[in-house]
Amino acid sequence: MTVPTQRIELRSFGKGGIHPQTRKRDTASSPIEPMVPLPSEVWLPLIQHLGEPATPLVKKGDRVIRGQKIADGGATGSPLHATISGKVKPIDKRPHPTLVTVPSIIIARDGDAEEEFPEDPAWRETPHAEMLARIRDAGIVGLGGAAFPTYRKLTLPPGVNVDTFILNGAECEPFLTSDYRLMLEEPEAIVEGALAMARLLGVKRVLVGVEADKMPAVESLRTAARSVPLGEQTFEVVPCEVRYPQGAERQLVTSLTGRTIPPRSLPSAVGVLVQNVATAHAVYHALRYRRPLLDRVMTVTGPGVLQPRNLRVPVGTLLQTLVDACGGMRVDTTRLIAGGPMMGRALPRLDLPVIKGMNGLLLLTGRGPLEEGFGPCIQCGRCLDACPLGLEPDQVSVHIEAGRTLDTDPFGPLDCYECGCCTYVCPSGRPLLQFMQVAKSALRRATDIRVKT
Amino acid sequence: MSAETIAPPEPAPFVIAPGPHVRAEETTTKIMWTVNAALAPAALWGALVFGLPAVGVIVAAVAGAVASEAVAGRVVRTRTSVRDGSAFCTGLLLALTLPPLVPLWAAFLGGAFAIIFAKTIFGGLGYNLFNPALIGRAFLMATLPLPMTAGWITPAPFFANAAAVTTATPLGAWREQGITAAMNLLGGAGSPWVSLIVGLRPGSIGEVSVLLVVLGGGVLLARRIITPTIPLSILVGVLLTTAPSGQAGLHLLSGGLWLGALFMATDYVTSPSTRNGQIVFGLLIGALTGIIRIYGGYPEGICYAILLANTLVPALNLWFRPRRPVFAGAPS
Repeated sequence: MTVPTQRIELRSFGKGGIHPQTRKRDTASSPIEPMVPLPSEVWLPLIQHLGEPATPLVKKGDRVIRGQKIADGGATGSPLHATISGKVKPIDKRPHPTLVTVPSIIIARDGDAEEEFPEDPAWRETPHAEMLARIRDAGIVGLGGAAFPTYRKLTLPPGVNVDTFILNGAECEPFLTSDYRLMLEEPEAIVEGALAMARLLGVKRVLVGVEADKMPAVESLRTAARSVPLGEQTFEVVPCEVRYPQGAERQLVTSLTGRTIPPRSLPSAVGVLVQNVATAHAVYHALRYRRPLLDRVMTVTGPGVLQPRNLRVPVGTLLQTLVDACGGMRVDTTRLIAGGPMMGRALPRLDLPVIKGMNGLLLLTGRGPLEEGFGPCIQCGRCLDACPLGLEPDQVSVHIEAGRTLDTDPFGPLDCYECGCCTYVCPSGRPLLQFMQVAKSALRRATDIRVKT
Repeated sequence: MSAETIAPPEPAPFVIAPGPHVRAEETTTKIMWTVNAALAPAALWGALVFGLPAVGVIVAAVAGAVASEAVAGRVVRTRTSVRDGSAFCTGLLLALTLPPLVPLWAAFLGGAFAIIFAKTIFGGLGYNLFNPALIGRAFLMATLPLPMTAGWITPAPFFANAAAVTTATPLGAWREQGITAAMNLLGGAGSPWVSLIVGLRPGSIGEVSVLLVVLGGGVLLARRIITPTIPLSILVGVLLTTAPSGQAGLHLLSGGLWLGALFMATDYVTSPSTRNGQIVFGLLIGALTGIIRIYGGYPEGICYAILLANTLVPALNLWFRPRRPVFAGAPS
């Protein structure tokens, strides 16, 4: 990672945001490496996406090969594929990183066979319906973390028009470099995938937002775009200010287009659709080779990891295998985080599978912020300055402490998208984000009750 | 579930906590002790020029505040701890606003009153409406008017005045006898302006050296613990209200104006949280200070100006809310 030497005008959003230490140096120069050896077992939960769970197409004892579809189903669901070749074990409930336990297909590896994915030479001319079908069949979900099935995001509801396609390469979470490495190493796939999705939507303007601490990625994407037939489309890579949460959809849309999404609305409300760079990469492979989403590039890093690195990991690999592939973990590791340190989720154990929406594994040492306890609000106003939405976490927290949870609506908890800037800056260590969540769910519940009665 | 499908070794237990999993360096405790450290130059100067009485007052006021915090915090179980440095800060700030000849028991009582009646009964740190140190000072002004208005001594660096001579403050002299008397009082070290800025003049323990108070305030500004909004607004307010009298220079450089503007009006708890609210708050304090000094009953006005403005803080926070980004979707 290099700091730009010449002054360039960086785009950014209006108010709020924070500047945590980026801590990307440990893995920024680690190329994406394959998992060696391949995991001996994978757990593939039937829910790895937002939507109906998939239904297994295989049963105990079946032999499957890498790339074979093993579960599918539902109008809102997403299919699953075997990510290693081997024998299907009994399908039963297994621990899941976000959903406690979920029925999972377990495959024990017994070889290196893989389905073949021949190129479709006429892939650029694929009709729209066929493009959507390939994206769906490939089991692609939003790889930025939300895991919303990509074919559904690309199917705009009637009356919704989009004029700008944004590719999110901001990677504003500290520690993570998986998107950066992908932009550096496989920029053509990302550019092609983005242009194809824009074509599918009938959009001519493609913008890419990349934080300015990743200028090599900016150059790499620009170079790749010069070798790709653009047709009527435009492809512009825009360096953005290094400021968390630059990569949040809402902020990136403002930074790149100057448009502001109304509260509780999607980017399409202002004519924009956002996809993550890793999603674009997967879409390219799905369209050109009909290759399903089998692997996920993950940054395994943090002070608890002995050899931090970027790995191309078969989905379903156990976290323990991942940690072993990185030289193991320090004995004083206390916290295990799926994703980055800001919006990532703490996990209780290592016998959990990698799921499609995971972009990093962070092993932290020492005590976490909340373990120190927290003090009263001293009304310093730091959270007000940090909130990119102009919400008032201080007021929300004080009202909840006083037992007035339902009086918090004017301070905006329903608009909060949980970036965590408020908690990050609070000098009293108050869990402001959690107060926002408490207010949000209480207010939603109260509204539901009112609607019902 | 067959036994062989379960991962054999018991995985290490990891701590589960909601994110974010990292936080900024700044903590309340660090902030409070930085403020205390930023006050140290002014306090040391006070001790230097006013001698042992000033040292005694500082120790007594801090002891009164800290002891009350420890006891009262335990009795009513506030979430405040003595270690967070806020009670120390209250005691120190109170001492710096007191004349050097205030009796030690009075300084102790002032510190105790400030904590118990301006902080603890409101619920402790974060819940108080008024600046505790200034409540302590107002309490002493009301109960011990004589030492509070006549306890001044002439400054003598390096403990040169073993037998301290009581005197008036520049603002007091200006009020009773006019500007010439005030300037004569300041003339000792050459230019009256140098006396005001360096701090060779009678006054409260920590207010005399504008230079050292500003130095401490500069540390807080550089550390981004405070922003310039409130102090600048106060100075503008004082300038606007005292300029017609032709003595804006004296007013801007004397009394506890800088101590109040940089260290007391900027107290997080008792000042508005948003910038626009802070501007109104500061202008109000500045204007009230000028009005009290020129038309009111006291030669010094910053203490009551801040306390009066404190009452408006909840309202200012309601009137001046943070701005939310405005929906703007026109295709560009």
